[in-house]
This record gives sequence, C-alpha cells and structure tokens, in this order.
Amino acid sequence: MDGPLDFEDEDALFSPPVVPKKRKKIIGLDDLLTDFYREKSKCLERESKREKAPQKDNSDDDEDDKEALVCKAVDECQKQMTELIGEEEISMWGIRLFGDQKTPPPLIFPELRSSLLLQSFMENELSTLVELPIETGEVFLESLLLNGWLSKLIISCGHLEKSIASWTFNMILYSSREELRASACDLWHLVLSSKAEVASVPIKIDWFPGYSELRRALETYGFLFSFSSTTESVDTNSACQKPSQNIKAWVEISAACCQARSKKPIFSTSEAEELVQFIICLFLDRQLMGLQLLFYECTQSVINYFTDEEWTISSKRIAKSLAFRVPMDLNCLRAVECISGVGPRSKGLRSAVAYEVLCNCLNCKAANEEEILSLLISINVKDRSCDLFKMYIYLVLTENWLMSTTLLEEKPVLYEMWSVYLRNCSCQITSTDMRSYAPKVRNKASYLLQGTIK
Amino acid sequence: MATLGQRRATIVAMEENTLAILDSAEAKDTQDANDDRIAYLNAVRLASILADSPSPPTNKMAEAVFQILRVGKSLESIMESFRLLNELENCYPPAYVSNMDTSGSPILVVVEEAWSPFGFGSDVARSGKEPAAEIPLGPIDASGFHLLIQGLVEVADEANFQALDLKAIRRMLLFQYIVNALKGDFVPRNCVYKDTMNWNLLRESLLNMLLGSRRIIYKNLMKDCLSIMCGFQISNNFECSENPEAASGDDTALAIAVLEARKSTCIAMQKLLTIIMELDMSKNKAEMQGCTTRADGVRTPLVEIILDELTYDQDMLSQFLQNHLQVFTEPKWKLEIILRYFSKYTAKPSVHTRRSNGCTDDVTFNGVLRRLMDSTSSRNIIKKISTEVVQLLVAHAFQAHLSRSCQNFDGINDSDEVKATPLTEICKNLVSAFRSLRRMDEKMDILPFAKEALFTAATILSPKS
Repeated sequence: MDGPLDFEDEDALFSPPVVPKKRKKIIGLDDLLTDFYREKSKCLERESKREKAPQKDNSDDDEDDKEALVCKAVDECQKQMTELIGEEEISMWGIRLFGDQKTPPPLIFPELRSSLLLQSFMENELSTLVELPIETGEVFLESLLLNGWLSKLIISCGHLEKSIASWTFNMILYSSREELRASACDLWHLVLSSKAEVASVPIKIDWFPGYSELRRALETYGFLFSFSSTTESVDTNSACQKPSQNIKAWVEISAACCQARSKKPIFSTSEAEELVQFIICLFLDRQLMGLQLLFYECTQSVINYFTDEEWTISSKRIAKSLAFRVPMDLNCLRAVECISGVGPRSKGLRSAVAYEVLCNCLNCKAANEEEILSLLISINVKDRSCDLFKMYIYLVLTENWLMSTTLLEEKPVLYEMWSVYLRNCSCQITSTDMRSYAPKVRNKASYLLQGTIK
Repeated sequence: MATLGQRRATIVAMEENTLAILDSAEAKDTQDANDDRIAYLNAVRLASILADSPSPPTNKMAEAVFQILRVGKSLESIMESFRLLNELENCYPPAYVSNMDTSGSPILVVVEEAWSPFGFGSDVARSGKEPAAEIPLGPIDASGFHLLIQGLVEVADEANFQALDLKAIRRMLLFQYIVNALKGDFVPRNCVYKDTMNWNLLRESLLNMLLGSRRIIYKNLMKDCLSIMCGFQISNNFECSENPEAASGDDTALAIAVLEARKSTCIAMQKLLTIIMELDMSKNKAEMQGCTTRADGVRTPLVEIILDELTYDQDMLSQFLQNHLQVFTEPKWKLEIILRYFSKYTAKPSVHTRRSNGCTDDVTFNGVLRRLMDSTSSRNIIKKISTEVVQLLVAHAFQAHLSRSCQNFDGINDSDEVKATPLTEICKNLVSAFRSLRRMDEKMDILPFAKEALFTAATILSPKS
C-alpha cells in the first residue's frame, strides 16, 4: 500500500524477541498471509483492469462484458472487505458543538444614564463646551468605549462603577457588533490586569463578573453541553448552525478573569475545572479552527488559575470528566493533542487526560499502569477481527500518556512493556496488510520504537 | 553520559525517523497526506517541547515545519505549523539576554546554529532576472519579504474580503511568524545595545540586514506596509455582515479564520513598524556617537517617511487620522509622530539638517498645548493646519499620553515627559487649549472624538466622589 520498505530492516532488527510468538501462531500467520495475498492479487487485478479500461473503447464488446463482470465481482469483494474491516477510509475529528442559538437578553441599560461618570460631568462647567445631551448618554458612552477612552478613564480615576461594569460585560457576551465586543474586552483586560500594588490609585471595581454569567452565555450560544456519539460529527454539507460570533470574546474574557486571581478569585475550583473542559471542547469544533490560538492562550490562563494544591486534585478531576465527555474516536486524540504548552501543568494534564481516556477505552476500572500495558500487549493485531482503528487510538493515547512524564525512566518495567507493545504493532502488521489503519499503526509504532532505542 | 558523537548520532537518527513520517506526504493533497503532516507536527512538538527531556528540532526538521506553513493544503496543517513555529521560537530563542557576565551587565547570547527562516546570505541586487512572482521556497530573503508584503497589499485591498482563500491565510500567518522572528532577534539585541552602545549587535540584527538590503527599495516597502495597515483597518470596520452564503462548515471555518488572521496581521504590522522605529532611534544614536560606518548606509527613518506622506498628501493625512491613529495604538510612537508633525509647523525657523531632526527634546505634548493656549501662536498653527486636524491631533496625542500614564502605573515606563508632568496639568491645559481654539472661532464645531477627549480630561479633573 505504501512504498517505503525501510521497515523491513526494523523487522530484521527486532525479529529475535518476536520469534517465540511467531512459532506458536505459525499456522494462523500463514493463513493470514495467503488471505492477504489473495486479496492483494484481486486488487492488483482490478487496478490493472481499470488502467486498461480507457483503451478498451474500440475493442470487443465481449471483453467489455467480461471485464464488467470481473469488475463487479472485485467491487463486491472490496465492499465485503470494507464491511469486514468496518471502517471508513476517511475519518476526521470534529464535533458539532453548537445547536440552536437562543435569543440573547436585551442590551438596554437605563441605569447608565444615572452613572456617576455621566452625572458628574453634567455638573461640570465644561459640559457647555461639549454639549452633551443626557438623553444620548448611552450613545456617548458607547463611543467612549469604542474609541478606547473609557478604559483609560477608569484606570486614571481608579474606579469602575457597577452600571458600567455590567454594561460592558454584557456587551462582551451578547453584542452583535465586533468592535464593541473587542473594545469591552480590552477594557476588562486592562482593568483586571493592572497591578494594584504599583498603581498610584488602586482600581476600585464595584462589580465582578461571575461564572454563572459565562455559563448562561454559553447556553444562549446554543452550546451542547453533552454531545454524545460520533453521529453528529462533521457533516460538512448539512445546513449546520454557525457558532455564535461572541465565542471569541467569551474566550478572551474567561482568560482575563483567570488572570485576575490576585485581585479576586472569580471562579470556584469546580467552576474553573468545568471551564477547562469547555475550552478543550471548543478545540473539537472544526468551524472554530481559526480561533485555536486563542483557545491555547485561554487554556493556559485557566490552568494557571489554580493554586498548586488545588491543581493536584483538580487536574485529575478534569482528566476524568473530560474522558467521559469526549467520544472515543479521533476526537479524543484531538482533545489530548490540543493540550500543549511548555509548563509542567499542561504536560501533566495532557498525560493525565490521555491516561484517563485510555482507561475508558479499555473499559478497565482501577487499573494500574502495568495492567493497562499488559492489556494492550495482549491484543493480537494479526487477528482479522482486531480493530486497527482502535489500536491506532490506543497507540497515540499511550504515547501521549507516557512521553511527557518521567514514568518510563522511573519504572523500567513500564519501559519494557512499552517496547514490547510497540514491537507488536510494528512487526506483526506487515506492509501488505490491507486493513485501513494498518499502515498508520505500523508507521506510528515503528517511529516510536526508533525513539525508544537508547 | 553519552559522548558527543553518540549524541549526534541519536539526533541524526531522530531527524531521519521524524522526517520519514512526511515521506509519503510529499506535496500530495489527500486526507492521508494531510494526516501525515499533522502527525509530523505532533511528533516534532512532542519531541521538542512536551517530552520529558526535550531537544530542539534539527534544521531540517524546522525547515519542514516551515514548509508546511508555506504550502499547507489544509487550514488545520497551516494553523498547526504556525503555532508550532511560534512555540519553538519561544522555547529555543535564537538570541537572548543573559546576565551571566561577571560584571553583572547583560550580555547577548546568539545561538549560531539555530535555524532561521531567513537567508540574507548574498546581498547583490538581483540583476537581469525578472523578479519572481511568488516567494521562492526555502529561506526568506529581502526580496522574498517584499514579495510577501506585496502579497499582503493584495489581501488588504481585496474588495470582497470574504473571498475565502487558504492562500491569504498562509500569507498572513507567514507574515506574522516572520515578524515574530524579526522581533525575537531584535529586542534582545536592542536591549543590550542600550546598555553597551555596541552598534555591531544591531548592525547584525536580522531587521537591520533586511532593511539595508540592496535587493529591495526600502521606501516602497515602508509605504506598502503603511497601506496594508490602512487597508486592513478599513475592511475590518465594515466586517461582520454575516455571510449567508457560507453555508458549509468548512466555509464557516475559513471565514472565521480569515477574520481572525486579518486582525492579528494588523497587530503584527504594528509590531513591525514599532521595531523599525526603535531601530531607527538606536541607529540615530549610534550615528551621533560616530559608531556607524559608510557601510551602514543612509536610511530615512520611518517616522520621517510617515511625516512626509502626511505633509505632501492631504488624503493620506485624513486617512492617517481616521485610520492609522486608530489602529496604531502603540502610544509611545503615536505620540512621537504627532509631536513631530506639530513641530514641523511650530518650530522656530532654523537650519534643518539631517542630523538634527532626530531629536525632539524641545517638543513635548505639554509644550504643544501651551502653544495652543497662547492666542498668537495658536492662530499661526491654525493658519497652517486646519482646526479639525488640530483637534484630532491633540485628542489622539492626549489619548497616547493617557495610555502611557496608565502603563506607568504598571511600572513599564521609562522616564520621560509622562512622569515629569502630572496628568492633571495636562488635562487642565487640554481644556484651556480647546477653550482658546473656541475663542478664536466661535462657530468652531468640536469634533466627536475631541469631545470624548474633553470629557475624559474633565472627568479626571473632577473631584472624586
């Protein structure tokens, strides 16, 4: 199926430890081989027929009929094969995360007119120069916000009053105007990140956003809090719901809230745990791929929100609930792989999530590391009924679980088992294996095997 | 302990092994080939960033990641390679400041063998050959950079900017990465330069080599950069009209990605212009100290180019006021540009030499406000610049000043006018300046943006409740 025969060298290299196993199953292997070759020759036949097809146009009809028959037969074989394998050749990660949007709450804030900011200006003698009618106070505040004055004003005066705080926060969550959302986000970011201890005037913030508001906004956007099977996964042609435009601002404000822990812990531990999960889920929607850099930054902010003590417990809890949330297909790999970052926390979380998902996949409870690996080793990849797609997922999960930890160095047993597992996957699947994920599993395993040689 | 030879052998093995993942992908556009590219990026990330003991990617490996960004056939591979390149840049900076010197002064550490997306090797003006229409693959040189910028001008000019295109995204992300790399090289060099006054450090910076290259026409390059900022800003303003045709998920994905990339490209352009102005300032300092040689050449400072554009092109001026000052939020240089513009009209008639126009020590924002408060000098200014323009310039300058004083709270700022003059004085003078403008022309309308500035100043002055 694929060209490179480099792997034959590896096969030769690693044959010794595999020999005893080969001996035991020598008949099975032969059977399989003949099966494969039979299938392969069929395929070759079909291919050569197809290649000839265009030239056939002006030759005998007889031949055409024959060919049609053979083609039909071969196609049927092919169909049976794919049925046997039970896999679609092309599968992609992707989940539809957003359903129907709800009507956002109205963005009317009559209390703005009585805000201190506007009121105090009305008493100012300058108001004659500026000629600001109080009726248009809201419009004026909006342009103050848009043009970047409001944030500077708040920082210079050292006070963010309640009406303005909740007004700008609601702009972020529900405004349909991108510039307003962006300006409001900037304002909150500046206000929350300004360091009180250096400022000559520490900013007094009368109102803080809360997790419930953020969660309610997600509901309004139509976020599907529980997405189950893969049935709803990427269906690019259906008239799918577009994710809300506000999701970007939502992510940004969540990150800003996390960065302000020194000012005020806005989220409880369990709320922050849920937030991490939601953001990792956002990675799974293909439509939001263009925003993933924001998601990474936000993941980092939320992960760093926890204190060290909280994190040891919370990271495990996050990993466990994520493992239940993500479907056990390519999506779970995507979920693991999108947790990245240099810090020990993201490395640890990545490993933990991979481990928990693996446990879930293998359906084993209270398993320890050795048990999991021995379970993986016991899978016979040569068996036709062995689901290589699942094997691929196990392999990538195990890789992510083990590689960013010190486990392999600490426990030589694990290291040995990991090598055996890799050898199983790389040596027992031949390059002529026609199952759809065979080359993927084989290549991945032999790549990793190369890496383990020291 | 592994010997050096052994380590090199392991690295070579790792390189071959990792690159083998890409072998079958070779420029194909199938799902499989795409999967292979993603698998490759993940493998590099795992080995070089996430692994228990990570090691930097070899040059070939980094080059392959760069290639994926430049020719990527799917949004996913482009986004992922872009992210990985930036992560690698952060993890393994090619230049950084170290305080390991015994004297305690910072020294610059340049990792010579580090991979770089640039290749300024031979700097001969390309003769005879037609300039390439596409940036040639491989390392980016000065002409390649200009081609990239011209490509971005196209993207910015795109009337229907929702013409969704992977090529546009590739260009924009490539540009952003290039700016990151230039900045990553320049900032530590400039930081040590300020301490040691060793011009060589900056002479060898990628940015200086790029701008000094004879393969490009520097002024055109800068004008292109300015027009990109304008173009993006204008179209970003009328975006958000939901595109009902983009029905399929892939189109939505692309539309969201384009929008996001345009925003970040605008920010990256601002970063680029800012470091160019910083370089100009350092170069000017080096020139005054006689540290530069003829080989350094003469390059018009970017601020001068901007001011020239403003002076000779009234359209540009209004565009600049509406767009650039809105976009260009970096307060230090925003203030600088406005003050220089004023000084052109307010400075005493003196001999203008190249050397002297670098220093603006005598022009401060407060100084400008004082001139406007004085009826004779403000009448003079109004004659040369219209009241509308004066209002806008003053308001923008005030905003920049405010931003700087907000930053000051965070202790980022270095000493200058912002610290010297109390904010309340600036606010008072701003109000008086507007009053004096009003006195001269009773019918003068105060522009909305200026009203906002006045409101802000008045509120800062008003006694705290």
